[in-house]
Amino acid sequence: MLSRVASNIYWLGRYLQRAENTARLVNVNALLLLDLPRGIPFGWEPLVQIVGSDDLYRSLYGADYSESNVVRYLLLDQRNPGSIHSSLHAAREILRTVRDATPREVWEKLNDLHYYVIGQGEGALSRSRRGAFLQRVIDGTMLVYAVLSFNMSQDVGFQFLRIGTNLEQADMTTRILDVRSTSLLDPTGRAEQLAPLYNIQWMSVLRSLTAYQMYRRHVKARVNRTGVLRFLLQNREFPRSVTFCLTMVMSTLPHLPESRSVERTLWRVRALVQDANVDKLVEEGLHELINEIQLGLSDLHEALAVVFFKTPEV
Amino acid sequence: MAIDWRQYRCENFYDELCEAPGRPRPAARKLAEYLGALSEPEMAERRLAAELAIKVMGISFTVYSEGKNVDRAWPFDIIPRIIPLSEWVKTEAGLKQRAYALNLFIQDLYNDQKIIKDGVFPAELLTESVNFRKQCIGVKPANGVWAHICGSDLVRDKDGTMYVLEDNLRVPSGVSYMVENRLVTKRVFPELFEATTILPVDDYPAQLYDTLAAISPRPLDQPNVVLLTPGIFNSAYFEHAYLAQQMGIELVEGTDLFVADDDCVYMRTIYGPRRVDVIYRRIDDLFLDPEAFNPDSILGVPGLMRAWINGRVALANCPGAGVADDKVVYAFVPAMIKYYLGEDPILPNVPSYLCMDPKQREYVIANLDKLVVKPANESGGYGMLIGPRSTPEEREKFRRLIEANPRNYMAQPTLALSTAPTMMEDNTVEPRHLDLRPFILSRGSIESTYVTTGGLTRVAMVRGSLVVNSSQGGGAKDTWIVDLDDSPAQSQSMGGMSQSQAFGSSESPQDTAVRGDD
Repeated sequence: MLSRVASNIYWLGRYLQRAENTARLVNVNALLLLDLPRGIPFGWEPLVQIVGSDDLYRSLYGADYSESNVVRYLLLDQRNPGSIHSSLHAAREILRTVRDATPREVWEKLNDLHYYVIGQGEGALSRSRRGAFLQRVIDGTMLVYAVLSFNMSQDVGFQFLRIGTNLEQADMTTRILDVRSTSLLDPTGRAEQLAPLYNIQWMSVLRSLTAYQMYRRHVKARVNRTGVLRFLLQNREFPRSVTFCLTMVMSTLPHLPESRSVERTLWRVRALVQDANVDKLVEEGLHELINEIQLGLSDLHEALAVVFFKTPEV
Repeated sequence: MAIDWRQYRCENFYDELCEAPGRPRPAARKLAEYLGALSEPEMAERRLAAELAIKVMGISFTVYSEGKNVDRAWPFDIIPRIIPLSEWVKTEAGLKQRAYALNLFIQDLYNDQKIIKDGVFPAELLTESVNFRKQCIGVKPANGVWAHICGSDLVRDKDGTMYVLEDNLRVPSGVSYMVENRLVTKRVFPELFEATTILPVDDYPAQLYDTLAAISPRPLDQPNVVLLTPGIFNSAYFEHAYLAQQMGIELVEGTDLFVADDDCVYMRTIYGPRRVDVIYRRIDDLFLDPEAFNPDSILGVPGLMRAWINGRVALANCPGAGVADDKVVYAFVPAMIKYYLGEDPILPNVPSYLCMDPKQREYVIANLDKLVVKPANESGGYGMLIGPRSTPEEREKFRRLIEANPRNYMAQPTLALSTAPTMMEDNTVEPRHLDLRPFILSRGSIESTYVTTGGLTRVAMVRGSLVVNSSQGGGAKDTWIVDLDDSPAQSQSMGGMSQSQAFGSSESPQDTAVRGDD
């Protein structure tokens, strides 16, 4: 496995996962806003914060976080490297470079989706057609992933795909927790008015990650802050929980050339997530914890790059 | 309205599928009947199916336009071109003979130069050749093969004679489209494959792998073979990825490889360096190794020539093989065949006039309006003069160019390239000019040489045009070699088809090919 190819497959996993998560995020936000009282100040802005590109957004659209601008920015704007369009484009370009290492059918499915986004993307800016569009993006990315899982030898290259996919998911899950746990509601409002809305807020966090149903099955408690945090950070069985994702990354290690630095970084961030005392986290504490996890994920990426992806010295 | 073959105006040229309007050639009868029975909506549907298949399969080529590299769907005409096996057998034998002689010639030039000493090939041609690489002098690659992969362009003139227009010995491309065209046709016209014995084309990647593995400098069961690409921005990148995938070998870029102090080539992997035995390189000579050639090349691998000269790695094609695909050297191929093999050429060259010869030069200059003038070493159809379509100013410019540097020019009569029925936007069928590029794999003897079944047919989609360049309105057709004797039930149905056509060309099928018609 060439270092360059390993790196490309890793990024392929990340971009696919990013496109899927972004589609879910937009979908859920639209539903959420329908349930919230008018005049909620943060309608679409949090989505931009979640994907972590507020500065870029402001440079392109100013302070106007209107639905049409944010949706365009997240779905179609090629100037946003994290938009669905850009992610799929990047995934497709990567697939071109690793075409020899991936099954042909993957290329066909991704190509198909890419043309769909180009062809139908503008239509998705209208609310009536957006749901179907986003669903198609979600279906399409999952189909690509499914074809990869079932048609590609689960060799060392495949392990890099899994690492990319899971790191991206862990990253996205922590971002959603970070933004959604703070910014949704104005805490100066009257408590009795806000109480039912908190519930909706945390439900939307779960829904953004398709976690609502699994949460209900596993937690058997009403949706609340502590339960959601624990579920999305520490649950060992739900595929979008941070712990689950890091465990998946860990399971790839025996298939890769041994590397102490990658192992160490991975153990460290996983311990951080698992040892967190969720019950005691106040809002500020949560933000700091998530910052730390994000740094850990970034260290892990860096370790992978140094050990496996970087052009080694001759 | 279905296709009415009586309305097919093919009488001005040799048409590959029809002898005359309403009279398909024997090998094309089945196809003509079949197409004639389809209604216009059915034809349109098949064409859409092909377009969709191409898009979904991602068969594409890259063009550079407006500062961006754009990936375009491969332009494809659904009506195949048909060559009867009986004709193809002869063509194949001619191609094997030619490729073998060319390899003997290259080996000779870089070693004993007997052909020069014996006065068959002029020494001054060699000294002025831009593709002669002095770094290669004295090298003797495995089995004496320099051009392992050769793409020769064949064209058919008005009388039905198939000529070799040129040989591409550097990094010929297009073979992946040949294989892909067949897959598309199978999706679009599966019924035809049941009724007719159409020889398969998909053996090529396996044959290519065997050819490459056989030249490994290390006697291993599983030599490490890689395909070296300039990268994603190369117009033939699709093909590079396709072939690597089909052969199950690594697709590498220059930065993936390095030459160590032991002169061996290694690739950078997640497990550390791994030795490479054979490189199928799709990078031009001058970019291969910045130490030996262009020092600014970022595509190549420093030290690669050293590794090759010392026998630590095999390269296909060998550096310097391009010395024999010079358009002036081309004129000497029939003489080479005689000289090395003592045989007459099976396939004729297009008659050529060499401007280095004073008499021939005089003729060329006097007849610039009738001839196609080509520079020796350009590819892609650049720097050519197409006499019948030129202005007096252009002809004057060429007269001066030729007189300033006669060795660099040769001229050929304009051929009336053959045509084949091609589907138009409005679903009618009209004749369009075409050529044929078969690919030849050389392994050191005539017997072991492999020739593709048919090749890549390129077609100029614009009426009257001779430009098969896909970035300029050129397209491709599936090419069928049909065994009439083996066809179930109707042995009369496939008969004397022929084909091939013309167009200039170049290493790459995306590049121009031009041949004048009259």
